[in-house]
Amino acid sequence: MKKYSAIFAFVLFTAINANAQFTSASLQASGLTCAMCTKAIDNALKQLPYVASVKPDIKNSSFTITFREGMNADIDGLQKAVEDAGFSVSKLKLTGAFSHVGIKNDEHVEIGGKVFHFLNVKDQVLDGEKVLTVVDKNFLSLKEFKKYSNSTNMSCLQTGKAGDCCTKAGVAAGTRIYHVTI
Amino acid sequence: MKLVLFLSLCFVSTVSLAQPVIGSPAPEIALKDVNGNTVSLSSLKGKVVLIDFWASWCGPCRRANRQLIKIYPKLKLKGFEIYSISIDDDQGDWQKAIAADKITWLQVNEKNSFYGPVANAWKIDQIPSTFLIDKQGILVAVDPEERGLEKRVTQLLK
Repeated sequence: MKKYSAIFAFVLFTAINANAQFTSASLQASGLTCAMCTKAIDNALKQLPYVASVKPDIKNSSFTITFREGMNADIDGLQKAVEDAGFSVSKLKLTGAFSHVGIKNDEHVEIGGKVFHFLNVKDQVLDGEKVLTVVDKNFLSLKEFKKYSNSTNMSCLQTGKAGDCCTKAGVAAGTRIYHVTI
Repeated sequence: MKLVLFLSLCFVSTVSLAQPVIGSPAPEIALKDVNGNTVSLSSLKGKVVLIDFWASWCGPCRRANRQLIKIYPKLKLKGFEIYSISIDDDQGDWQKAIAADKITWLQVNEKNSFYGPVANAWKIDQIPSTFLIDKQGILVAVDPEERGLEKRVTQLLK
């Protein structure tokens, strides 16, 4: 009996623990002028409540954003801040600490309260620090986005919202779906 | 009457917050150089000075450095100086960039990128931001064009 409860506890533990917390991001913005050289984007990102720090990284011509510990980073919020500053996101990589998150190519998975749709990946279990690249429409150049458009037949890639395709998988219609790759 | 007072207060506060204006004296700046010595802008009175806000992570600033190197040595002999203010948070990054770009002119640093007191006072919204001041310390140009800079400085040195 003791053995069973131990196994039960273990299963319960892993089920609860299959989670992830995003700790930082690398964001590349583009516009008519040097994005890193303006106060506008830097300031807009720093205003976000879940952003702890913003540091320009000249090697990758991007911003390194650190999220506040324990806070749920709003991915769309980052994109909106950049757009409001008069620029657009051309690359967003999210770094997170994962534990026991099983993912499958072209399938949805809920991580930390958000629904992610993985594209161009091998089926695997994510553990430890992993970097996801967001491939939603306003998170990369149109040319890059078109490349990913061929990776799925589901309509949610075009809209970023759950459609008929996703409700079958138990995702409520209209739910925001983040499309990512590794 | 109250309204007039209020409006004039608004006016005063706007003026004090505005970017330094062409034709008026450049506000004093006193920041530390690589060796930790404070260098003040006023100590350069009598020289024509280009104030240059930049950072190691700013690509266009680094390109501008390479252009300034071409005209600096000969103009320096005639009484020209460059007062570069890096807004790097990381002093190491700043010093590496000075070495990499082979900068020989005055270099001071104010941490906190766009949010330091000097960057704030000068209303720096983007870098590079440059200001040209004459021998009397009067601001004569904001973001002077690189191409005409040598000619402009030579005229001011006369």
